[in-house]
Amino acid sequence: MNYDLVLCGVGGQGVLSIAWVIDHAAHEAGLYFKQSEVHGMAQRGGAVSAFVRMSDHPVASDLIAHGAASMVLAVEPMEALRYTQLLRPDGWIVTDVTPLENDAYPQHEKLYKVLFSAPRLLVIDATRLAHKAGTVKAQNMVVLGAAAAQLPLPMALLEAQVQALFAAKGERISKANVNAFRIGAAASQFAAALLAAGVPSGVLARVLPRLMFEPQLVAQTSIDTWCERLLAPDGAQTAMRLFEAGTGIPVDGV
Amino acid sequence: MSEVILLGDEAVARGAIDAGISAAYAYPGTPSTEIYQAIQDHVKELGLTVRGLWSTNEKVALEEGVGVSYAGRRSIVSMKHVGLNVAADPFMNVAVSGAHGGLVLAVADDPSMHSSQNEQDSRYFADFAMVPCLEPGDQQQCYDFTREAFDLSEQLQVPVLLRLVTRLAHSRAAVTLAPAREQNKANYVDDPSRFTLIPANARRAYAKLVDKQPALQAYSENHAANKLMLRGEGRPGILVSGLGWNYLQEAMGDALDGYNLLRIGVYPLPVKKIRQLLDASSEVWIVEEGYPFIERYVSALGLMRERPIHGKLTGALPRMGELDSDAIKRCFGLPVNVSLQIAGLADVLVGRPPRLCDKCPHSDAYLAINEVIAQYAPGARVMGDIGCYALGYLAPYQAIHSCLCMGSSIGMAIGAAHAGMTPSLCVIGDGTFTHSGMTPLLDAARDNTNIKVFILDNSIVAMTGGQPTQVTDEEVVDLVAGLGVPREHIRVVTPSVQKKEQTLAVIREEMAYTGLSVLIARRACVTYAKQIKLYKRACGELVE
Repeated sequence: MNYDLVLCGVGGQGVLSIAWVIDHAAHEAGLYFKQSEVHGMAQRGGAVSAFVRMSDHPVASDLIAHGAASMVLAVEPMEALRYTQLLRPDGWIVTDVTPLENDAYPQHEKLYKVLFSAPRLLVIDATRLAHKAGTVKAQNMVVLGAAAAQLPLPMALLEAQVQALFAAKGERISKANVNAFRIGAAASQFAAALLAAGVPSGVLARVLPRLMFEPQLVAQTSIDTWCERLLAPDGAQTAMRLFEAGTGIPVDGV
Repeated sequence: MSEVILLGDEAVARGAIDAGISAAYAYPGTPSTEIYQAIQDHVKELGLTVRGLWSTNEKVALEEGVGVSYAGRRSIVSMKHVGLNVAADPFMNVAVSGAHGGLVLAVADDPSMHSSQNEQDSRYFADFAMVPCLEPGDQQQCYDFTREAFDLSEQLQVPVLLRLVTRLAHSRAAVTLAPAREQNKANYVDDPSRFTLIPANARRAYAKLVDKQPALQAYSENHAANKLMLRGEGRPGILVSGLGWNYLQEAMGDALDGYNLLRIGVYPLPVKKIRQLLDASSEVWIVEEGYPFIERYVSALGLMRERPIHGKLTGALPRMGELDSDAIKRCFGLPVNVSLQIAGLADVLVGRPPRLCDKCPHSDAYLAINEVIAQYAPGARVMGDIGCYALGYLAPYQAIHSCLCMGSSIGMAIGAAHAGMTPSLCVIGDGTFTHSGMTPLLDAARDNTNIKVFILDNSIVAMTGGQPTQVTDEEVVDLVAGLGVPREHIRVVTPSVQKKEQTLAVIREEMAYTGLSVLIARRACVTYAKQIKLYKRACGELVE
């Protein structure tokens, strides 16, 4: 087993905290790993990335080769597209939908059109979900939660490391981050169920970032309701409408 | 034995602690900063007594380390590659005097210039000084080689250079630690003439260094990390060092079994093993991170006449930038993986370079300087320096017009003024000023050179992650005055939106004066406000 993972975002968004959690979970799981990261000048609001390479054999290179990554895990939607040359053709992109704009940032509509065309994609509003979990700073743990089911690591191990990372910051922050992680996991459980039911990726990509999840698994009845809605003949239009409306909809509130 | 997850830099730090260092010194610089940072953290955690400082600059750091060595104890001195230029004087000379207590320099190179102004390869410096160089290829070797470097330093009485590169310094993996060694007892060097390099002594000491070379050579020839794997006469060969080995394994996998291999981690170069590899191989690839150091050496051996050599000099591998497994694949004609293609990607992907933080004091300083220049001296040039404020080169400020090396702004402004450039302006951070800006300012003060020096005083070394500065607030003024700048031309301003008019007025006044002015733009860094408070409290300056 080899699993290469690109973590990315903007300096200050907590990319290295995601790396910390995965490193320690991989180590606990008895996997070999190497994880390289960027320090220094790039951290001043620049694009940052970290590479995690996990394997059941010793890992040689600290860098990820072209077309070798199984996933790009991003905290910012344009940054999610910066490393696609490292992604395998069947690789996943998991990202927050919330843009962090800089000079010459693309029009959101254009950006989303390109992003949503990625074949294996999970886009959530991690910023809004993190706010709901108790601190907007936990957006990184929301995207980690959303990616967790795909990683070659037990969910419980990852969650334990989230707890360990924030333990020193007090009960409230620690709980908010664990909840953020669980909310992300709920979003990915929901997304997997809808994709399995045949909801097209491009349709789901527009609905998922508008859904508000709880720190627990989504009820089957809600999944069924959303499947029905999105598999209806006007499912694509529904998705478009919900995305453009921009408001958060409780996933169980249909 | 315990296993911990460590950055390459942190593994060096743990290696040094477990080797029994009594002191550590450093000047912060990416990618080396975390070495000393980790030493501070772990020493606290382990309850050890290890003295140390963020030194004023790398030269001072190394001299402090040499002092520890003189007293018979072990120390590690860490810096980035260009820091070794600053420390080159003590480095070249402690090679001649030799070490007494173990002395290890951990120097982190930055191929691809992620956070640096050049790609210089520190293996040349070790070669130049005729001292051993250990080049770890992974995090475990960072730990093991650091420990070994201390033993080697004491065994052969030489300083040892540990060469790191960014991708190792800033990459994490699990590292197995071994039981720690006790610190040395103080044991002053018995023969002070060794460290007293007046010519008569220096000739003797240098002869000793020359005499040590066969022992260094033998150490390297016999070292397990210089591993020769001959698979058969007439097969192709690969000579590989440092991280090159990792990329080679990644790119070639089992195909490597068909090659004669020599993996190098210890210098001076093991010439016998190199000859054996070359003699046995039909052609040889040379894979090394950094400059074509081994390749030039091998070329000079003259053994390549009968067999082709492929490397950075021949164009088989890129001459610039860091290696990766794809570069190796291309070099050996192997296919690079296909990656995910997304239509329209280029239209929506723009660069995201670093920039000054929101509300950064430097931005207000630059806006004020730009405004005065636009009014009174359009087109005037501002010499810049190294630090966050180098980002002032970029839009929207475009406020500086040079950035050469630490402390260069003032000297360049002096030279430009002598060449007739008026006004001649420069900016330098408070950290960089004490690192190497004080000496050129002394020149300007002796000469009353007509330059305007802006010290951007944000009370912290910010770019490298928030290390304390040597002097703060009024101490900066006193320091500048002590160098001979008249107090009436040392002006303190507050770079902020609210105080903009006052700042502009002061800059205008000093621009109207023909002579040396120092304008201190003093406002604390917003990003490291918390650390600044902590440091000031620790110094007793802040009472709450």
